[in-house]
Amino acid sequence: MNWLFPSSSAWADQIQSRLLKLSAVFLVLNALVLTLSPAVRYHSWQAEYRWQHWLGVLIWLASFSLVHRLVMQALPERDPFLLPLAALLTGWGLLSIWRLSTENGLRQSLWMVFSLLILVLGLRAKNLLGVLKRYKYIWLISGILISALTFIFGTYPGGEGPRLWLGCCGLYFQPSEPLKLLLIIYLAAYLADKILVNPNFLQLLLPTFLLVGAALGILLIQRDLGTASLFLLLYFTIIFLASGRIEVLAVGAVSLLAAGITGYAAFDVIRLRVEAWLNPWLDPSGRSYQIVQSLIAISSGQILGRGAGIGYPGFVPIAHSDFIFSSIGEEYGLAGTLALLAILALWISRGFRVAVMASNRYKRFLAAGSAAYIGLQSIFIIGGNIRLLPLTGVTLPFVSYGGSSLVTSYFTLLLLMLISVRSETPPAPLQNTRPYLITGGMLFISLLSAGMVNGWWSVIRSNDLMGRFDNPRRSAVSQVVLRGAILDRNNQPIVISTGKPGDYTRHNLYPPLSLVTGYTSIVYGQTGLEASLDPYLRGLQGSPTSTVWSSQFLYGQPPPGLDVRLSIDLKLQTLADSLLGNYTGAIVIINAQSGEVLAMASHPYFDSNQIHENMGEWLQSDRGYLLNRATQASYPPGTALGAFILTDYLAGQPLPDSPPELSIRFNNQNWNCAVTPSDPLSWGEVISSGCPGPILELGKQLGAERLAGMYEDLGLTQSPSLRLPVAKSVSTNDLTDTLKIALGQDAITISPLQMVLASASLSREGGRPAPFLALAVSTPQQGWVILPNDATAPALPVVGIPQALQLLENPALPVWESTASAFSGEGRVAWYTGGTMPDWKGTPISLVVTLENQNPVAAMEIGHSLFKTILRPK
Amino acid sequence: MTGIVVLIFRILAVISLYAFLGWALITLWRELQLTSSQLTSPQFPSVTITPLDFEDLQTREYQASEVMIGRDEGCEYTIPDDTVSSRHARLSYHHSQWWLEDLLSKNGTYLNDERVYTSTVIISGDELRCGKVNLRITIKNI
Repeated sequence: MNWLFPSSSAWADQIQSRLLKLSAVFLVLNALVLTLSPAVRYHSWQAEYRWQHWLGVLIWLASFSLVHRLVMQALPERDPFLLPLAALLTGWGLLSIWRLSTENGLRQSLWMVFSLLILVLGLRAKNLLGVLKRYKYIWLISGILISALTFIFGTYPGGEGPRLWLGCCGLYFQPSEPLKLLLIIYLAAYLADKILVNPNFLQLLLPTFLLVGAALGILLIQRDLGTASLFLLLYFTIIFLASGRIEVLAVGAVSLLAAGITGYAAFDVIRLRVEAWLNPWLDPSGRSYQIVQSLIAISSGQILGRGAGIGYPGFVPIAHSDFIFSSIGEEYGLAGTLALLAILALWISRGFRVAVMASNRYKRFLAAGSAAYIGLQSIFIIGGNIRLLPLTGVTLPFVSYGGSSLVTSYFTLLLLMLISVRSETPPAPLQNTRPYLITGGMLFISLLSAGMVNGWWSVIRSNDLMGRFDNPRRSAVSQVVLRGAILDRNNQPIVISTGKPGDYTRHNLYPPLSLVTGYTSIVYGQTGLEASLDPYLRGLQGSPTSTVWSSQFLYGQPPPGLDVRLSIDLKLQTLADSLLGNYTGAIVIINAQSGEVLAMASHPYFDSNQIHENMGEWLQSDRGYLLNRATQASYPPGTALGAFILTDYLAGQPLPDSPPELSIRFNNQNWNCAVTPSDPLSWGEVISSGCPGPILELGKQLGAERLAGMYEDLGLTQSPSLRLPVAKSVSTNDLTDTLKIALGQDAITISPLQMVLASASLSREGGRPAPFLALAVSTPQQGWVILPNDATAPALPVVGIPQALQLLENPALPVWESTASAFSGEGRVAWYTGGTMPDWKGTPISLVVTLENQNPVAAMEIGHSLFKTILRPK
Repeated sequence: MTGIVVLIFRILAVISLYAFLGWALITLWRELQLTSSQLTSPQFPSVTITPLDFEDLQTREYQASEVMIGRDEGCEYTIPDDTVSSRHARLSYHHSQWWLEDLLSKNGTYLNDERVYTSTVIISGDELRCGKVNLRITIKNI
């Protein structure tokens, strides 16, 4: 590579050449990674490679090769580190900007050429430093005036925003960028000529405060508060360096704090920024959106980074400018950002060395000010990106997108390089080295803390942050990595992903099950089984740990998703849905022995294929499209409890001779049997017909305490654990009034799922099964693996069950049944519960039909149709 | 597979980045060593003092950065003559020059017959008079 960055025998030239070569190697390797990144993302060499950014790399190589030669000629005795450090930072930024946007990359490349042109011209200009010193007032005043012009002609290149730029026709300039450097030049020149013996503060601060105050005022009016605070800090730093008095730092700190507090009270912008900084987690989608997204980006980088082009830095707003550090953090990892901080530290240390070795006071102040300027501004924005400091919208020098920033940074580099030239005259006497050590030390400590905070996010908190629901990378990778399918118990697909890598879409092949399967969407997040089975469907759980780790490390993606088999039987589900039709209500059918849910219908339902079109309508409707009535709805059980009360009663004593009056008065309303009982009116007949009178009579004899115990045994006081959200269950504290407990009214509510599980304990003669919805997951190594499930819980006393079921048996079908009704507010609820008899040889079935505001006969007819189909000999 | 190939490039890139940093630091370390060795063994031209008319004295060459001249035994160049003050004059090397300085001597210090009041640069061949003692200064080029 000698032809690119040739060297001479001089020590300085050798260093510069070597460092530039290493920078070039780094950039070319990363450019290569960026080119290959689509192949990584889609796991295939047949991808559309990225080539555009090579234009930027070529421009970088060509211009720095040229600048290197010119610098070797013009300044043989310069500091050899400054140019390569700046070159590496610029090239790194350039690559990151090209990666985010080709257009901005091209613009930044041209700005880089322009900046280097200024650098080269500056090297050739005679006595540039002297001219800057002599006309110090002119420079600063014109800087202030040009900044003031933004009040009249100010625009924002990106459309709506703070009007801090001047220019038109695609070429914009932000005058506040060079203003900072002009301040440094002015202060250095002014203070170099003043030799004050033991000055007091007024003597130190007053003469400079008029101009500095004017500049500060303009920045404040522009609301460019980041630059304003940087300005203030730089001002005090330079006064401190020149005067060597530590009190200046104290005054500076106090003024900055005072300005901050006043600003907090006066400006909404500052208050929001500070609050977003102190507690970003309160409003992660609003005010602290930027900072939270920035932290998520940094945490996704982890240690080695995702690799250029493989991460998703574009999810952070203004990633190419204010948040370029987090974008580098995501793709180059902690290894990259620590190196970046080290480069800055080197740059600052060289700057201070140049200052200490400078041949006169003007050059010394100017060099120290320039080094502090680059250091402070970097710390401001990096600290903002990693939540070490409140966010200030300044750029990262040399790295961020922005012409004004880049030109100013290169002008600063030019000044330092000019001052660094070793002259015949020895360094000017330096009475007190302390200010330089203190300022340099504080900058290093800040960079070190930035490195540690960075490590905290990218290593220790990494997994927590990446797992957040507002991490858009999770949904983004689901378009690239195939998500597992959801299958029914016979491996019939219910929900699948289709399409090509990069364009996968989720399809629900059986939309009526949307309330169970849920949805997964970039906009609306995840619900239902898509949410609860997400780790399996994304392959994070069930895949070998090494696979999960290696695909995360190599591709920045989870491994291919795993298919999950549900207990749902699509044939039975279709039947339940067709029978439920336009009714509002739910049907749950389970295997009474194992608790496997065979069908779970809830109407009305939404269609997960159409959430983007219809979600607004569903959310606004009061029909509850998004409510899974089988698990989430709370209905009063009413006389549906009759079967259980009968069983519990029979366990202790024989029934009275004949049932009492069938109907009762309840809350000033007549409560009749749910269906008309047929003669002769046996106990079994009146209870399976849901007649409130006999049920209340038995309940009264059992008493409130015993009934409350029955609720607990049936699992009605606890929410069943399922991979779906379930309704809150009734509290034992509400189980005091015998009338209400026996007739399941008022605060006593249960879900259809609880009811079907309770009735399963009758069909299996004791023991209440836990519900089972997801059966198994298809793992790459062991095939189908059964998913864990809760054990069976004890239920009613077994003694009463055989006699009770005999009484409740349907004469035409081998099932026991109970049709019931309940009052629910203004309306009514119809229940049908039933199950196979314990001696049934086929699959033991338990089912419940719940309808809102319908005649219980309708529920009963649905139940009978279901049983006839299910129990029909195959 | 694509991931592994790209990983190799990614690792190479990190290595080149840290090579940059490491090499910069090594160079800085070398530079520091060089500077400090220059400071501890400063290179400056030796100065030789030759007596012109005083026979008891010897010609002496000094490799130090400071040479005190006087009657006192503690001076680097001791002149046992009553016209010479106990600490008469000082030769010192700084700012790339040898300087002569009169230490408020009673009879004065003369450089090429001109009295010295402030610190004055001397060159090889200059004649120096302390009291009534004439000396020649020779500075060796390095």
